[in-house]
Amino acid sequence: MNPKIEAVGAYAPRFRVSAEAFEEAWGQFHAAGVNSKAVPDADEDAVTMAYEAASRALDAADRAGADVSFLAFASTTPPLAEEDLTARLGGMLSVPQSATRHVFTGSTRAGTRALDAALSAGPWEQEADDSPPSGESVGLVVAADCPRGRPDSDEDHAAGAGAAAFVLSESGGSAGGAEVRERAEYASEYPGTRFRRAGSEAVEGLGATGYERRAFTETLAGAVEQLDLADASEVDAAAVQAPNGKLPYRAADALGVDTDRIGACATVHELGDTAAASVPLALARALADGAETVLAASFGSGAGADALLVENAGGGSDADGIPSSLALDDGESVSYAEYLRKRGELTSGPPDGGGAYVSVPSWRRTLDQRHRLLAGRCPECGGLNFPPEGACNDCKALVDGYDEVRLTGEGTVEAATVISQGGAPPEFAEQQAQSGDFAVAVVALDGPDGDSASVPAQVVAADPSDVAIGDPVETTMRRVYTQEGVTRYGFKIRPRGPEGE
Amino acid sequence: MRDAYLVGAAQTDFGSFPDESYRSLFRTAFEAARDSVPAGMDSDDVDEAVVGTLGVGGRQLGLSGPAATEHVGLHGIPTTRVENACAASGYAVRQAVQAVRSGMADVVLAGGVEIMTDMSGDATKYWLGVSGETEWERLSGTTFAGVYAQMADAHMAEYGTTTEQMSHVAVKNHRNGAKNPHAQLGFECSLEDAENAQTVADPLTLYHCCPTTDGAAVALIASEDVVDEYTDDPIRVAGVGAASDAVGLFQRDSYTGIEASQRAAETAYRRAGVTPDDIDFAEVHDCFSIAEILAYEDLGFCEPGEGGELAESGTTALDGDLPVNTSGGLKSKGHPIGATGAGQVAEAFKQLSGDAGNRQVEDATRGLTHNVGGSGGAAVVHVFEREARSASNSRAAKPREKEREVAK
Repeated sequence: MNPKIEAVGAYAPRFRVSAEAFEEAWGQFHAAGVNSKAVPDADEDAVTMAYEAASRALDAADRAGADVSFLAFASTTPPLAEEDLTARLGGMLSVPQSATRHVFTGSTRAGTRALDAALSAGPWEQEADDSPPSGESVGLVVAADCPRGRPDSDEDHAAGAGAAAFVLSESGGSAGGAEVRERAEYASEYPGTRFRRAGSEAVEGLGATGYERRAFTETLAGAVEQLDLADASEVDAAAVQAPNGKLPYRAADALGVDTDRIGACATVHELGDTAAASVPLALARALADGAETVLAASFGSGAGADALLVENAGGGSDADGIPSSLALDDGESVSYAEYLRKRGELTSGPPDGGGAYVSVPSWRRTLDQRHRLLAGRCPECGGLNFPPEGACNDCKALVDGYDEVRLTGEGTVEAATVISQGGAPPEFAEQQAQSGDFAVAVVALDGPDGDSASVPAQVVAADPSDVAIGDPVETTMRRVYTQEGVTRYGFKIRPRGPEGE
Repeated sequence: MRDAYLVGAAQTDFGSFPDESYRSLFRTAFEAARDSVPAGMDSDDVDEAVVGTLGVGGRQLGLSGPAATEHVGLHGIPTTRVENACAASGYAVRQAVQAVRSGMADVVLAGGVEIMTDMSGDATKYWLGVSGETEWERLSGTTFAGVYAQMADAHMAEYGTTTEQMSHVAVKNHRNGAKNPHAQLGFECSLEDAENAQTVADPLTLYHCCPTTDGAAVALIASEDVVDEYTDDPIRVAGVGAASDAVGLFQRDSYTGIEASQRAAETAYRRAGVTPDDIDFAEVHDCFSIAEILAYEDLGFCEPGEGGELAESGTTALDGDLPVNTSGGLKSKGHPIGATGAGQVAEAFKQLSGDAGNRQVEDATRGLTHNVGGSGGAAVVHVFEREARSASNSRAAKPREKEREVAK
């Protein structure tokens, strides 16, 4: 038996650029049906968005990273063309080192390919001596994407950002989960519909509208036809690949679904083209909204398609959505110029220099802290130390080994400043050029027993001037900087919402 | 333990000197210091040297100490480079005092030099970052300005200190620096200038921050056994204190004071047998205006939390009860990292010699210097005391017994 979808998580960066902003800049806008799109901040990429969506999905499932025995990451925009990023992503999520890992890329179908692979791989047996905290091993599928095109291209006008994650398990969790009843795929040769040249960051297309539309609808229909689906019009929602806000609806007839079923869960209108995360995002939204049956149909140029029929096993017309945590609401509008800045189109890159260099091996030695908030309790005085090394900050005893304590990721600002242009260390000059002034705080991060450890941290997702002593904050994962080609990821902090999510 | 005396000290102009090298600047300071010794001094009299420097033009040299001293003809003597970030030459002075007191040397040169303006602003920031906590603090995106801004933020929250009070520090130090021909920014500024300047790290504006500076400074420390050869007005090193602390702010108990300064000051006062009330003037480490306010409190010039009011009150102005940074401080005089601490001693020497011109503190007999490394990972405090002439005459003249490590 295949595993079920137990919970979903989703994330989109908080910035939005509107279609009007593009129209003002270019005199026209080439992404039909896209009203706004999500814009990653300068320190966000597919890995950090994947972390956000995945940690939300795990939280919704009430599972821990330690439960995961299968991790799949899908993106057409992995920050590195070669490197198994699931090692880092898994590290941030505390996924066991023995977990199976897969990276799916190279196609906007990668998200559903990852889901398909996970469904085939599970359910997962746990080793007797390695039983997960919740008692059941789970699979975690994350699709995160932030495509881009040349600024004047149709592809860039549509290009958005977002991530979706699915927790898969045999039991489906306490709510029963959603079952993927049918899976099918189909391919038909259509070269040139969408591609990215080796070494290039920009997606291109031929612009042969009729040809590309035919490739899209024919391939999707080919996959859906293979499903044992008596009446596609009966599905509650259809999660269809959305390179723009119009194309999925053009495929409605070929798929046999009403356009309003597509619109019921589409994210393209607010987030833009999220590429490999497009169908996973729409599927996550449909399942979170309580859709009983969902048709998911993804397309990748070339051209291939996946079709999945998902049923909420909870059943019944009044079925609630499966456990979910979606953070897709827009936060802040940016102008077109700010959009270009945030994407680094206008900045000159980091300056040359020397000095306070932190080598990659030095960096790696701190990953337990940067990715997993591992502090240490002094065996002499009980004080919390972060990082847990050297003499105790409290009693000054030179301890042999600290007792491992994981900080909760929530804390309180103790001191803050806003670093202005010209005030940032050179490693952060590029980020500041893209994103503007940023706040840096000393924050007391809570330990599990009511005490805290103080750390310095950059503040994200907030107006820097709004950060003040006493503010409640929580950690998230962002890019710190890239040196010698190696991006350093680590925790940063952001305001903690009143909902405590 | 023998007493140690400050018999000469001088600094170069502080500023930007594209035509000077670290060695040529060091030479200027050395010659001026030698010339400042009342009865004169031969280069051959120098037994040992300690040179503070962080780097040369953003790079590090392995033997920058000997490279500086051989350049000025101090052949063969033991020379050590000390590096404690911005407190490098403050510690060099302390090392010199130790060498003299221990009996290992009779005359020790303590100096410092820095070349900071021959690289881009970005490269300067790269380089200065090495003096902070690099793995956590710097990687959170902060510079020194950011860390001091965080201290200012905490101080403002806890004590109600205002940016205007910090601006008063800048105005005062510019007013003093305008009277100092060696100062880098020898112009006056108004409260409005300071308040309205561009923000560097909130709440610190450009006028709350010290400039990037080239310069050198040299102090000459002599033992009680030989001091009479050099002066009839000896200036005793009455008290020395030094302390260290966590390099990163986040690992300290307090964000509103610098514990290393407090400890260093306590020790220096105790050794000198004085209290803060006995101090006639002070040169304190004001790399950022909040740092001077913290110094007032850490050095016991006022109670914790009252530093802002003290700055505002005029007490620390040139004509106040306790003039602070008569030289213009790091803010106006300039902050050539490795030369800063020795530069403070040069001002103390001038004041105690009655040679400070139109910024002379009347009847200055006891002065304090306070030099901080990084954002408080190291601090060193010296109390210098001018001895009454009659007292110096009463000291028994001892035959000079030099313990030379190298025959000259």
